Amino acid sequence: MLKRMFIAVVLITGLAGFSSTRAFGEPASPAAREREAWQKEFDEICSRTQDAMSLSQEELATLIQRADALLPQIEKLDETRKKVYMGRLRMCRGLYEYVLESKKNEKK
Amino acid sequence: MNTCSNQRRTKKNERALLLLALTCTVLFLAGVASSQIYLPPPPPEPSEYGKVVLDQFSSNSPGGVVFDHWLHRSKFTCRLCHVDIGFAMQAKATGIQAASNREGFHCGSCHDGKRLYDGKPIFAACGDTSADKQCDRCHSLGKTGVRHYEYKAFVARFPKAYYGVDWQAAERSKAIKPVDFLEGVSLRKNHIEKRRDFTIKAGLPFVQPIVFSHQKHSVWNGCELCHPEIFPTAKKEAVSFSMYMNFDGRQCGACHRKVAFPLNNCGHCHPLGPEWIG
Repeated sequence: MLKRMFIAVVLITGLAGFSSTRAFGEPASPAAREREAWQKEFDEICSRTQDAMSLSQEELATLIQRADALLPQIEKLDETRKKVYMGRLRMCRGLYEYVLESKKNEKK
Repeated sequence: MNTCSNQRRTKKNERALLLLALTCTVLFLAGVASSQIYLPPPPPEPSEYGKVVLDQFSSNSPGGVVFDHWLHRSKFTCRLCHVDIGFAMQAKATGIQAASNREGFHCGSCHDGKRLYDGKPIFAACGDTSADKQCDRCHSLGKTGVRHYEYKAFVARFPKAYYGVDWQAAERSKAIKPVDFLEGVSLRKNHIEKRRDFTIKAGLPFVQPIVFSHQKHSVWNGCELCHPEIFPTAKKEAVSFSMYMNFDGRQCGACHRKVAFPLNNCGHCHPLGPEWIG
């Protein structure tokens, strides 16, 4: 009887432990965390291109600075990823700079 | 005495006339030559227009890829491929390779065997498994009977213009619905705000201005496809357009000499036509 109870407790504890690990997922490695961080930053920077004209000069300047700060992280990526994301970053950064320039010209 | 001076005068007049005739001929020939430069080359057949051969890494085996813009532009916006996926606008600048396709980049962004279009999975580009091996479907340069789409049959249901398909009319009539978002690749963005159309004064006095529709262009291209790479100057007074540059594949010619309707119909961009007609 005691033996059966012991086995049941061990099984339940094991199952609970297993399901909690599955629920919370495996802990991310530092490299994976870094990868997620640059991707999140990239998404945030480049998702404003459609409404670039409605951004203030300060907002545009900040986005340009953030793009410049992100570039070294993208340069560390593997060849294909680096090429694709550098191109995309160059395009959205270029647009922000272009809009900022045109806004400055409008003010003159 | 008088006869002698008359003869000299006549000779001088003859020489002057000859010089004048020569000058006129030179000016006439120069005019013809310059007008030749400013005439657009005739476009190829619509089925050949926008055809790109990709053979940077595959010229020997399995052979060059024949990419037809008419097929893909009916399904996706220009922006999706040239901004989100990262296909360069210049030949051989993207560096597409089988490995990058397999990793889910370039052609592999869509052609992964899993992504659906019209409810059907899009075949995998450069797939590893034997079931996926359909190399000739794309690597079709110089091969017959391997393509799945044929221009004439494919565009039969689309409205036509003076040159091939009228893509704008096709979209208006819902004959095409170009996809502009690719899950896992594209970024969630706000809708592009409506930009005003504007006119651009033509350089020649007898040519009517261009009516440029920002609205039409931004729907398929977004903003960053054109600015700043194709149109880099933000200073209005510094922008200088030229037909020569267009014919050379720059400015409007970056698209309108390669994929978008060609520059041979003046009225498409100068809708009011030359002044003597208007």
